[in-house]
Amino acid sequence: MDSFLQQVVNAVSLGAIYSLFALGYALVFSILGVLNLAHSAVFMTGAFVGLLLVDKLHQPLWIAAPLAMIAAGFVSILLEFVAFRPLRQRGAARMSQLISSIGAALLIVNLAQLAFKPLWGGTEAYFPQGLVPDQPIVIEALSLRIVPIRMIILVIALALVIALQYLVMRTRIGQQMRAVAFNQRTAALLGINVGRVYVLTFFLAGLLGGAAGLLYGLVFLNVTPFIGDDVALVGLTAIVLGGLGSINGALVGGFLVAAIQTFSIAIGGSNYKNAVVFGLLFVLLLARPQGLFGQSESTRA
Amino acid sequence: MSLLRRVLVVLLIAALSAPVAVVAQDEEEPQMGQWEACADPENLPEVVTIGAIFGQSGNISVYGIPQSQAVALAVNQINEAEYLGEGVTLEVIYEDSAGANEQAIAAMTKLVEEDGVVAVLGPTLSSEAFSADPIAQENGVPVMGVSNTAAGITDMGEFVFRDSLPEASVIPGTVAQATEIFGLEKVGVLYGNDDDFTISGYDVFVAALEENEVEILDEATFARGDVDFNAQLTQLLSLEPDALVVSALAAEATQIIVQARQLGFEGPIIGGNGFNSPAVLANAGEASNGVVVGAAWNIASPDPLSVLFAEEYEEEYGALPDQFTAQAYTGAWLMATAIRCADSTDSADVRDALAAITDFPSPLGVFSFDENRNPVHDPVAQIAKDGAFAVLSAETAGE
Amino acid sequence: MDALTQALVDILRPLGITEPVLQFMLVNAILGISIYLTLYTGMFSLANAGFMAIGAYAGVAATQFLGMPLWLGLIIGMAVAGIISLPIGLPVLRLKDIYLAIATIGFGEVVIILLLNFDEIISSIATALQGERVRIRLLEGARGIKGIPKSTETWMLFAFLALLMFLLWRLHKSRLGRAMAAIREDERAAANMGINVVYVKNVVFVMSAVVAASAGVFSAHLTRIISPGAYGFDKAVDILSFAVLGGTSTWVGPIVGGLVMGALPEVLRFLNDLRGVFIGLILLGVILFLPGGLINPAGVRLLLRRARRALRRRADAAERSSHAAP
Repeated sequence: MDSFLQQVVNAVSLGAIYSLFALGYALVFSILGVLNLAHSAVFMTGAFVGLLLVDKLHQPLWIAAPLAMIAAGFVSILLEFVAFRPLRQRGAARMSQLISSIGAALLIVNLAQLAFKPLWGGTEAYFPQGLVPDQPIVIEALSLRIVPIRMIILVIALALVIALQYLVMRTRIGQQMRAVAFNQRTAALLGINVGRVYVLTFFLAGLLGGAAGLLYGLVFLNVTPFIGDDVALVGLTAIVLGGLGSINGALVGGFLVAAIQTFSIAIGGSNYKNAVVFGLLFVLLLARPQGLFGQSESTRA
Repeated sequence: MSLLRRVLVVLLIAALSAPVAVVAQDEEEPQMGQWEACADPENLPEVVTIGAIFGQSGNISVYGIPQSQAVALAVNQINEAEYLGEGVTLEVIYEDSAGANEQAIAAMTKLVEEDGVVAVLGPTLSSEAFSADPIAQENGVPVMGVSNTAAGITDMGEFVFRDSLPEASVIPGTVAQATEIFGLEKVGVLYGNDDDFTISGYDVFVAALEENEVEILDEATFARGDVDFNAQLTQLLSLEPDALVVSALAAEATQIIVQARQLGFEGPIIGGNGFNSPAVLANAGEASNGVVVGAAWNIASPDPLSVLFAEEYEEEYGALPDQFTAQAYTGAWLMATAIRCADSTDSADVRDALAAITDFPSPLGVFSFDENRNPVHDPVAQIAKDGAFAVLSAETAGE
Repeated sequence: MDALTQALVDILRPLGITEPVLQFMLVNAILGISIYLTLYTGMFSLANAGFMAIGAYAGVAATQFLGMPLWLGLIIGMAVAGIISLPIGLPVLRLKDIYLAIATIGFGEVVIILLLNFDEIISSIATALQGERVRIRLLEGARGIKGIPKSTETWMLFAFLALLMFLLWRLHKSRLGRAMAAIREDERAAANMGINVVYVKNVVFVMSAVVAASAGVFSAHLTRIISPGAYGFDKAVDILSFAVLGGTSTWVGPIVGGLVMGALPEVLRFLNDLRGVFIGLILLGVILFLPGGLINPAGVRLLLRRARRALRRRADAAERSSHAAP
């Protein structure tokens, strides 16, 4: 199998995108213990705002990118205020918070659909070509071809994880986040403004999700209100495989899903690539529900 | 005013491309509705209502919204030209099917039983057509699919029409031509296996390849919404095929072309109808060189009516039309023509008039229905070269 | 019966509800019961769409390929789903909330993949057995099985729904029903009280699968075509929304939720582009402002109590002011 190395490269570059998306999911779960299924809508927001700025307002990418991330961050905060906080204050079950996030996602996607039509004459739009380097770098000796933007995504994903780790482990606000994650009531007694920590968590998750959406748009050019659907299940699988609430786990989970898919295809099973992913998920859930990197429920932090 | 604009547009295009200019000058000014097979209608009521079912929300809206816009464009022109007679307006009730069979059924029932429309255009998906068209058939209301390419659509009954060429009418010719020109012996096949449209295309490709004695080295599949095809492509390309044969919709097609080129594949990539979106050319850019498309309609078609339609559509909606959009536009004109020729709003009369349409000049070319109410017009095999499509020939394929 | 249906449709028609819409509303109500059973037992399972698919395909196989009547197809569809649900439920039901949800989503995806590739799988088995390439086309993958007769009648759906409602009513008064509620409240306590938790959960899971399958068989004989894509994650979320909208505190809730969610897209047709946004708003509004869903006796009682209190206060105030007046 002389294409093995190329498949490794393929898996890594796909995994980078999955991981970046999964990180935001994992961050919210690790602090709040709820699954934010509207994260896919935040992802879409990043691509949508980025495209709007580049295509309609003719902004350069270095302006569009941070603005798109911030916009996604604010949508994410909005989710906290609309879909999560009211339910949490009422003491509703985590399940109903999950359901409310589904409702919110539905609403955001529908609103995006309304916005798309007058802007782009339909529900499909494209980033202009050549915005990012997409000519492959050829390594003849190994018969490898590497697309630069994919590697850039890999670097950005890793950088964001390291930044996130630093923020959570080394800063005061990170300390507060961990305290809230450990026990909300104790944290409140210690004088931590729990509400503010939640808002910050959602904002950070939104930044990550927005960045993922924007990068996804830049690589594949194609943006629709529905691109969140493409990654929602994959991202979910990635964080469960990695361990719900574990940030490193989300990273590893993303690469793992990409690797499973890629090598299922490489051995000729492209029909069953997702069956393999879900099959493994199934087995893992039964054997080790907390995932590869997750801690058990009581020590989650 | 709009006449002047049209003339200007045509002149502009004529000036830009010499071979087209010759055609355009020789002919009468191209315009829809110059089909002279029947007299001006006299007995139509002030308002004639037809229905249109397209997926205008959800995933499917990528196709459904342009389709309803194309119908609206056609209907405006029809009313402006008083095509149905003096003071007669054609009205369309648009219904959203959201890509769901249940909603297509509900929409068809509403249009046919509640609104009492004369005829119906749509629905967008073949599966929706299989669910909803029987209702039109039972009620004796003609229905015309403008994007249903699956086998067996018009077998549902004599009131069911389509103006969308099924893959089986397009692909075999393309494959035969490509086999000869490129001397294909072995190919890799890549297709979407969870979508009715792409899998129909795959069926026809496999049959056509067998017919032309081209060996299929391997097959790989993907699912709708996939964006990364590197794994499948690496697998197929490792077998060193002469060409890649791909059955995909536009969004996936673009990615497949770009990624295949990024992986260093330089041979021809042969695609079906789904490749036939302006987005493919626009977004694949350089990579699209050597892409061979067999299609019912293509934006590069030199037919003056096709050029005119593309211009008008872009001017109105700020986006380029694709094949399904062109078929929707033509469908609206065909339906209006049937009503005009029937000179009646009786659905059965309209059906008969529709079935009788032959040699109708349209953006799709010279259009007729065959005895099974399927479209007859020449498909075009084209090859992408320097960011534009050209008619496929040994020359354009130029090694 | 037909006259009755006709009369009902005539009443609903101004709302945009025609007979096919009513039929799909009733199918939704059956699906609502399916998800209610698991939710009522405290199991957050999203496997309903998958079992609906299994029911639809098994039922259609019986009626289309074997020429059986619809009622036999219904029984076969339900039986196949029930048999498949057992080995799925045994391991999966050890999982709880989010983990169970994700595992069952995975189950649904695998069902779809297997249905998409069913022909290929049996073709390659046949090829291996025969030694030459065989292509079998049975379930047709993404092409879907076409030309299914529209043999489901409205009265059948009414009758079946009535039967289910009667069974639910009986269930709630039975030991099993009480055990289900006990498990939802506190699984450990239920086990301590001597309830066989594993047994009850699995029985409920099978019941839920069987009911979902019946909805699959009925709807397949309404839509005339079935293809795997119609039973994916979106469908699972749809079914969940029936329960969310209607509420799960009584079995009436998900039925009403299913009926309403079936009617909404048609009733709101006049909104055109805004339709999707409105449905989203309604759903989110119910989640946020009516925590127990549309049908929530506790909520209604609370509302009534508040209203009564407010009325009494106003009456008191009125009395006081009338006293003060002279």
